[in-house]
Amino acid sequence: MRPPIEFLFPPELGAELMYSLVIIICSLMIYYSTKEMYELSSYKGIKYFRMAFLFFAIAYFFRYFIFFFLAVFDIDNFLWLSQWGILGLSRVIFLYSSSMAIFYLIYSVMWKKWNHSKIKTYAFNFLALIIALTGSMLEGPEVSLFLNIILFVSSSFVLFIAYQNSKNKQKGKNLLIIYLLLFIFFFLNIINVLIPEFLQLYKIGIYLISISLFMTILYKVLKKMGN
Amino acid sequence: MRDILNIIHGNRNMIKPTPLLRKSGLSSNRFKEYYFALLERGLIKEIKDAQENKQIILSEKGFRFLEKYKTMINFIEEFEL
Repeated sequence: MRPPIEFLFPPELGAELMYSLVIIICSLMIYYSTKEMYELSSYKGIKYFRMAFLFFAIAYFFRYFIFFFLAVFDIDNFLWLSQWGILGLSRVIFLYSSSMAIFYLIYSVMWKKWNHSKIKTYAFNFLALIIALTGSMLEGPEVSLFLNIILFVSSSFVLFIAYQNSKNKQKGKNLLIIYLLLFIFFFLNIINVLIPEFLQLYKIGIYLISISLFMTILYKVLKKMGN
Repeated sequence: MRDILNIIHGNRNMIKPTPLLRKSGLSSNRFKEYYFALLERGLIKEIKDAQENKQIILSEKGFRFLEKYKTMINFIEEFEL
């Protein structure tokens, strides 16, 4: 039986905990530091940008929760609980939040060109729910991976279109690179959850690059806010 | 919207609706659109002066908006929002 402190903070999850904490804190800092700006302007682009990072925070929280649950509990003995209980629900929320984060980040850049409407937001939610439910209910990660690949490819394509239409090509290029890298590494994080043993060798590298991407965006936000 | 707020601010934070419309250079319909949007968002307020005339003033939120306007524009441009 583990001592209580090891139960709450399993040593094998040290890296996971630090990684998730840093990303969650960065995401929430971005969300809260842009709060006043949104309240003053009610500008939709700012709203969608904030929502993206709120969903990133939720996704990474549940990502850690899934790893915690798998490390601490013997799921073979609690399989029926895990598949349809806490673990299953966590996977649904993780996959849903991941998809919504990507959608909102894309929408923050494209909402004007796409003739903003509430129907699009409902459509995003519906698609994200489909991705989440298929990922959690079906045996094997293939369908979920496939849907996430489609999401990743279409998001990258849309980003590229946004760059082509960008007025300031240099600034647009920088943003394109950051967002593309963010999507790539976020996608790798999703693979890490769906197939934990697949990227073991490269895990630390993925974590470090993901952290630096989020910190770069946080830095740019705080710099523009004058903080 | 910023221009309307600037006009109010430039008029020592108090102006009647008709001069505001005139100074804004907007059509009556377009002005009404912006005016009600500003009211709804709480950026301006309507008050009655000593002669019971309607005056428009900036709210505290309106002042903050003007202060933060450049920051907001820079942010929006930086992230292409």
